[in-house]
Amino acid sequence: MKQQNVLEISGLDVSLPTGDRILSGVDLAIGGGRILGVIGESGAGKSMIGACIADTLPDALAVSAGSIEFDGLPLGSMTRATRRDLLGRDIGFIPQEPMTALNPALTIGQQFGSHLARIGFRWPKERKERTIQLLEDVHLPRSRELLSHYPHQLSGGMLQRVLIAMAFASNPKLVVADEPTTALDVTIQARVAELIARMVETHGASVLFITHDLCLAADLCDEVAVLYAGRIVESGAAETIIGSPAHPYSRCLSLATPTLSGPPRPLLTLPGTMPSALERSVMAGCELAPRCPVAEMRCHTDKPLLASTTTGHRSACHFPERVSAIQAPAEEPQAAAREPGPDVVLRAEGLAKTYIARDWIGRMRRVEALRGLDFEVREGEFVGVVGESGSGKSTLTKLILGLEDVTTGRLDAAGFAGSDRSAATLRALRAQVQLVFQDPQSALNPRRSIGSLVTQSLEVRAERPSRAARSAIARDLLAKVLLPPDVIDRFPDQLSGGQKQRVNIARALCSNPRLLVADEIVSGLDVSVQAQILELLKALREEAAISLLLISHDLAVVRHICDRTVVMFRGEIVEQGPVEEVFGNPRHDYTRALVAAAQGGTSLRKTMSQSQ
Amino acid sequence: MHGFARYADIRLILSGGAVSAILLMALLAPWIAPHEPNDQDLLSILMPPVFAGGSAEHLLGTDSLGRDILSRLIHGARTAMTVAIFASCGAMLLGSVLACIAGYFGGRIDWAISRMVEIWLSFPPVVLSMLLIVGLGIGTDKVILAIILVDWTRFCRVLRTEVQVTRRQDYVAYARLAGFSHGRIILREVLPGVLPMIVTLFSLQMGISVVVEAILSFVSMGVPADVPAWGQMIADARIDIYSAPWGLALPILMIFVTVLSFNALGDSLNRVLDPRSSARRPV
Repeated sequence: MKQQNVLEISGLDVSLPTGDRILSGVDLAIGGGRILGVIGESGAGKSMIGACIADTLPDALAVSAGSIEFDGLPLGSMTRATRRDLLGRDIGFIPQEPMTALNPALTIGQQFGSHLARIGFRWPKERKERTIQLLEDVHLPRSRELLSHYPHQLSGGMLQRVLIAMAFASNPKLVVADEPTTALDVTIQARVAELIARMVETHGASVLFITHDLCLAADLCDEVAVLYAGRIVESGAAETIIGSPAHPYSRCLSLATPTLSGPPRPLLTLPGTMPSALERSVMAGCELAPRCPVAEMRCHTDKPLLASTTTGHRSACHFPERVSAIQAPAEEPQAAAREPGPDVVLRAEGLAKTYIARDWIGRMRRVEALRGLDFEVREGEFVGVVGESGSGKSTLTKLILGLEDVTTGRLDAAGFAGSDRSAATLRALRAQVQLVFQDPQSALNPRRSIGSLVTQSLEVRAERPSRAARSAIARDLLAKVLLPPDVIDRFPDQLSGGQKQRVNIARALCSNPRLLVADEIVSGLDVSVQAQILELLKALREEAAISLLLISHDLAVVRHICDRTVVMFRGEIVEQGPVEEVFGNPRHDYTRALVAAAQGGTSLRKTMSQSQ
Repeated sequence: MHGFARYADIRLILSGGAVSAILLMALLAPWIAPHEPNDQDLLSILMPPVFAGGSAEHLLGTDSLGRDILSRLIHGARTAMTVAIFASCGAMLLGSVLACIAGYFGGRIDWAISRMVEIWLSFPPVVLSMLLIVGLGIGTDKVILAIILVDWTRFCRVLRTEVQVTRRQDYVAYARLAGFSHGRIILREVLPGVLPMIVTLFSLQMGISVVVEAILSFVSMGVPADVPAWGQMIADARIDIYSAPWGLALPILMIFVTVLSFNALGDSLNRVLDPRSSARRPV
């Protein structure tokens, strides 16, 4: 029995005024009560689909072809007023950043109330009761008290629940969720996704779920469409796309995602980057062809169209049968069996840090940021520090780099004890211990050339190397992080996010450090770029013999490149040991909760490990 | 996108051209002015410009003392530009240095400098500069000093915020970790980031300085009476506004054009130099 689709997008084109297309020929259809996932990396144009429905396209962009039909009604031919009426009442939205989606000057109750008033609840008393009931539906405790709270008094997870409750308040037929979990902590992500799934069941709405997270999409969605460079390259049932994809891009994406279960394996790295809208318009063939491991001559000249491979499964590839042949590179045998060296690079014994805060009448309050930390990092060892925001990870970084004084205990970093604070010692320490910043956008001065950035730390040496020597060192460092030598004269703005992160790493390697402290260095990157950086770090271990302290919230990433892990919770180490042991058999409750949250997509991981 | 870029460039060229013309006029005043600005020709006073029926001897006519208006305008530009350049440079230096110190170091220094700026700003600027002139006495250098002392706060307030934003970038933290000294960080990492803002503010300040100088000259508290200035010309022509309106209109027009060009130049420089727009340049 074929029902009428709630949302039907056909042949949708979104173009720049120059004619370059951001989206081209997008076809999507969502049946009643179904969840459709749109997966894509940044720049693929996935958010533009949501923007087309909401009529919030950026000024420079316009729908140039195709139609969007909601419940049989074409959105494009409606008047603005009718369309506005539809939004929020029949089409709900869940935004990406819950912290900025609500007005900070109004209480939750006021904002919820005005939304309810708009969708037809006339009496204040009725609105209040309904609000409380809806907030209870999304499992917010003490919902009556919440009404008088302001947004800043709630955590990100709670705000997102409020917004989900608002989106479903009018029993909409369709809900558009644009990366609703990206800005949240890991343990909360899984719960929010689960909540959306349950709301769909109780309200019978359809959901357009836009995400970059493959596992999440597989877990939550019924059907999935994979978007690459503005085109849908594959669509079909979620399990089939993850389990047996028929497009090289989907296959590469799943092979590039680190997993928490199954045997450890190297990640597949897609070379290059996604073509921009301008580059796409001059490409005759498949947009993926330059990066595709199975591409042939025909792929470069002839654009493949979406075609059915099996029932309900469509792929835009000339050779869907070759996809299963794409395999992750084999593990190098000596890499698997390596032992860390005998020297200890970083050792903490009973390390504690207490901040003293004074309130406005001068009362002292002691805040224990870290308590009794014992751990060590040996030469050539990669250690992952795992924990949520507020667990003391960044305080630890500051102590290691000598930015803050140790309160009690001992911290021995690269042979420098924490007690000596003279400028010369600190300088020597920071040559041995280097920090790689999280956000390369902010960590690289936009007004310095790449060459001057990577050799920046040489500028403070007493005997400054000559210009020629510096440029030789810069070229050497760029080669280490696999960047072409011609980027040396460019500026950070001219590089992609992944390239910038490489420059960031190269700069840290400049002083031949023994220990790198990397703070969430892959969390802002797309899956395929993340895989490139992770494999780069692994290669550096072989070549440069460095140790790494990787601070991350992503257990799969830690499992992928680290030997040991340290789990932190409220300033204490609750568990540490080899990664496989800790994540495979967690002992502490908190570790168990973390692993469970990260394994939210169990169904997916099963199929993924089977497919190998 | 392309059209927009071209639009910005045209504005830049037009305003830049006008500004250069005014500066050139000021620089070459003694050579291009047809008469001495203070030479009186009492036989031909209040002559209209040549296009309104005057003679070719005085292209833009004469004032109530028979002085050639064109020559006075050209020499007035020299006065206006001298004051504007020196005053803007001084205000820029004073304001930028204090802004860098306040924004970079923060804490008590920032508190002290910010409060000082706020107290300074609570005085009406023109009244403050008149008070200063009363104290300092009349003279071109005194006018410059008065403008510096009044307008450094504009630089300080805007730049302090910019410096604070730059200060929070990770690349400044990295430079600290790498062992750079504070002075070096301010010069190499922070200052290049705020330089576009300094250039823009400087251009706007040029326009403001011209206006302030004109106001002070108008109330005879600016440059000495023997130095031709636009404000003075307006004041002189005021009495004959009905019989010889051109004497009043021309210096006003000059001030208008000068200030407009400097403001437009500041605007378009801001657009061209803004790192956010250069980030969008094609790779």
